[in-house]
Amino acid sequence: MPSANEPTIDCRELSKHFHDRKRGLVRAVDGISFQARAGEVFGLLGINGAGKTTTLRLLATLLRPSGGDARVAGFSINERPAAVRANIGFLTMSTGLYGRLTVREMIEYFGRLHGLERERLARRTEELFERFDIASFAGRRCDKLSSGMKQKVSIVRCVLHDPAVMILDEPTASLDVLAARNIVEFIADSRSRGKCVLLSTHSMAEAEKLCDRVGVIHRGRLLACDGIAALRGSSPSGRLEDAFVKLVEERAS
Amino acid sequence: MSKQVGVVFAKELREVLRDRRTLIFMLLVPTVAVPLFMWISTELVTHFATKLAREEARVLLLNPGAAPELVRRLRDSSSLEQTARRIEQVLVGAGLSVEELALLKGEPKAFMRLLEKKGIAADELVGKLRRATGTADLDADPKQLLAGLAPPRIQWLEEAPAGVDAAALAAAGRRRHELLEAVRRRKLAAAVEFDPRAESLLGEERSAPVKIFYLESSDRSRAALKSLRRMLATLGREILAERLRDRNLDPGFARPLAVRAERLPGPGFMAKLLSMLLPYMILIFALAGAMYPAIDLGAGEKERGTLETLLAAPVDRLALVLGKFGVVMVAALVSALLATLSLTVSMRAGVLGTLSLIGGEGFSFSLVEAGWAFLVVIPTAGIFAALLLVLSVFARSFKEAQSYANPLQMFVILPAFVSFIPGVDFDAGTALIPVVNVSLALKAIFTGNLDQHYLHLGLLFLSSAVLAAGLLLFTTWWFRREQVLFRG
Ligand SMILES: Nc1ncnc2c1ncn2[C@@H]1O[C@H](COP(=O)(O)OP(=O)(O)O)[C@@H](O)[C@H]1O
Ligand SMILES: [Mg+2]
Repeated sequence: MPSANEPTIDCRELSKHFHDRKRGLVRAVDGISFQARAGEVFGLLGINGAGKTTTLRLLATLLRPSGGDARVAGFSINERPAAVRANIGFLTMSTGLYGRLTVREMIEYFGRLHGLERERLARRTEELFERFDIASFAGRRCDKLSSGMKQKVSIVRCVLHDPAVMILDEPTASLDVLAARNIVEFIADSRSRGKCVLLSTHSMAEAEKLCDRVGVIHRGRLLACDGIAALRGSSPSGRLEDAFVKLVEERAS
Repeated sequence: MSKQVGVVFAKELREVLRDRRTLIFMLLVPTVAVPLFMWISTELVTHFATKLAREEARVLLLNPGAAPELVRRLRDSSSLEQTARRIEQVLVGAGLSVEELALLKGEPKAFMRLLEKKGIAADELVGKLRRATGTADLDADPKQLLAGLAPPRIQWLEEAPAGVDAAALAAAGRRRHELLEAVRRRKLAAAVEFDPRAESLLGEERSAPVKIFYLESSDRSRAALKSLRRMLATLGREILAERLRDRNLDPGFARPLAVRAERLPGPGFMAKLLSMLLPYMILIFALAGAMYPAIDLGAGEKERGTLETLLAAPVDRLALVLGKFGVVMVAALVSALLATLSLTVSMRAGVLGTLSLIGGEGFSFSLVEAGWAFLVVIPTAGIFAALLLVLSVFARSFKEAQSYANPLQMFVILPAFVSFIPGVDFDAGTALIPVVNVSLALKAIFTGNLDQHYLHLGLLFLSSAVLAAGLLLFTTWWFRREQVLFRG
C-alpha cells in the first residue's frame, strides 16, 4: 500500500513505441515522468496525437510499457497490473455500456468483477443511484437511455469500487452542455473526497477550469509540468493558450 | 477466479438471451424451421413423384408389323388391371387401407415395413395373393407385389406423332437422332423396336430381341423404360408359363431356386436413415447456434466499445475466456439438442407425412442412447465454441469475425458428411479426427452399435478435450496481450 506522502501516481521515464506499417517506429510516449497526488486534479494537455490516450492506457495497464515504469496507488504497472486495475476507475470517450443489460444489471456486473460482496454492492449501488439521480431509470435497458443518462451510469460504474485513482480520457469531449456538467461536478466532488484525478484534454479552457496542475504533452514528451497559475505566468500575456503555443514552438526550433 | 467465471457466465448468458438474432438461430430455426423445411421438401418430392407415376407415357412402336401378336398382348392391359384389383382386394382384406396402398405404390421397402408394423405375415399374404391372382410368378419379393398393384399406364403409338419425321425414323442413319429430338421435345417418352423375326423366334420357343430407346437424362423417359421393362417381363413370364403348361412342367421348373431375403429384427431402414441424418444435423446446428453468441461476445464487445472498460477492471483473463466460452458452448448444445428433438418428435408425430409412414417400424431412441448422444456431442461443441471464440476475439469487428466464421462452416459441413459415406468405421484412427469422430460416434449410437466402441469413445473425449483446451489457452493468451484491443 502507498505510504502517506507517496504520490498516488508516480510516472517514471514511461515510454510506449508502436510499430506502424506505414510510419515505421512511432514513439507515442517518449520518456514521460510526472507525479499526481491525492486530492489533486492533474491534466495532460496536448493536441491530437500528442500521446495522451496512450499514456492513460499505460497507466490503466491496457498497454504494456516499452520502457520505464509507473506506480499507481502504490503498485507498479509492470509488476502488479491486476492490483493497479483494482484501484483505478477508468472512463474513456469510447466507454460503452452493455446495451442489453439494465442499468442495475450493468452496475452489478462490474461490482461483482471488482469482488464487492453482494450486500456491500447493494448498499453502494443504492447510495450512488441516489447521488447521481439514477434510481428512476435503474430498471431500463442501457441502449434505451439518453446520452446524459449513459454518462451518469458510466460515472457510477467508474467509482463503484471507490478507487483511489480516477483516469478520465477527454471526459467532456463530444458531450452536450448538460452531460458535461455532470462530469465537471463529478470531478470536483472526487477531489473533495481526496481522490487523485488524472484527465486528458486538448482544450485550454477545460484545463483551466478543472485542473490544479497540468502537464503539457507534445509528440510523446512532457514539455512542462506545473500549476495553472505558474504556467500562465510563463507567458507575457498571462494566458494559458499563449504559454502552450510558446512551449510547443520552442520544442520545434 | 472461479467466482469470476460464474459472474461472467451469468452476465453473458443474460445478454445472449436478450439478443433476438441469437434466439432465432438458437431456438427458432432448430425447432420450427427444420421440421418445416423437411416437411415441405418431402411433400414436394412425393407430390411430383406421384404425379410422374400417374402420367401416361407415350411410347412409339417403331415396327408393330414385325410382331402383331406381341403388340396385341401388350396393348391388352386388361389382365394387368384385373390382377391389380385382385391384389388390392386381398391387401385391403388383410387390413391395409386404400390410402396406405396409394402412398406406398412403388415403395417396396416401405411396404414390407408396413406389413411388419401391422403384424401381417408376408408369407401368408403372398400365398393368398397367389391363389387370388392365379399366377405362380409372385414370390415373396415385395417389389413384385407392389408392381402388380400399380399397372403402368402407357399410350401405344403405332405411327409417328405430329412433329416427328416418319421418314427420318425409317432411315437407319437418322433414326436415333430423330428419336432423341422427339423425347427431348416431349413428343415421346420412349420407343420400342422388335426384332424382325421376333414372332417366328417365339414360335420356335427361342428368345425374341426387343429394343427400347430411351433418354437417360429425362425422368419421364426413364419412368417409361421402367414401365416397359415391367410389362415386357410380365408378358415374358406369361409366355414362359404357357410353354411350361404345354409340356406339363411345374412352374418351379423355370425357377430352380426360390430365393428370399429375411430381415432380422433390429435397427432397420429408418434407423439407418436417421443415423446418417441426425449426426449431420446435430453438428451443423451446434455450429450455427454457437456462431452469433461467439461473435457477439468477442468482436461485438470490441465494436460496442465495452471491451476496453472490461479489461481495465480487475478481472482474470482466464475467467473472462472461460465464462464467455461456457455461454457459447451452452448455445451450441441447446441448438443441437433442439434440432435433434424436433426432428425425432416431428417424425414420430407423423408431421413428416410419407417419411413417418415409412418409419412405421419406429426409430427406437431410448433415453440411454439420447444421453450418450448428448455426452458425445459435448466435446465437439466445446471445440466449436473455442474455435469461434478465438476467431471472434481475434477479429477487429463484427464483420471481420463473420468473414472468418463463414468459411469455418464449410470445414464442419464436409467432415460431418462422413456419416453418409458407407463403410467408414468409427475406429482408433477416425476417433482422433475432430468432427469426423463425433459424426461416426453418433452413427454408431443411433444404429445400436455403441457397445463395440467404448475405447474409441474414450479416444474421442481425450482428443477433443485436448484440442478444446488448447484453443482456450490460445484465446486466453491472446486476451492477455494488448493486441486484443489495439491491433493496428
Ligand atoms: N495501437 C497503435 N498502433 C500504432 N500507433 C498508435 C497506436 N495507438 C496510438 N498510436 C499513435 O501514437 C500517437 C499518439 O496517439 P494517442 O495517444 O492516441 O494521442 P492523443 O490521445 O493525444 O490524441 C499517434 O501518432 C497515434 O497514431
Ligand atoms: Mg486521445
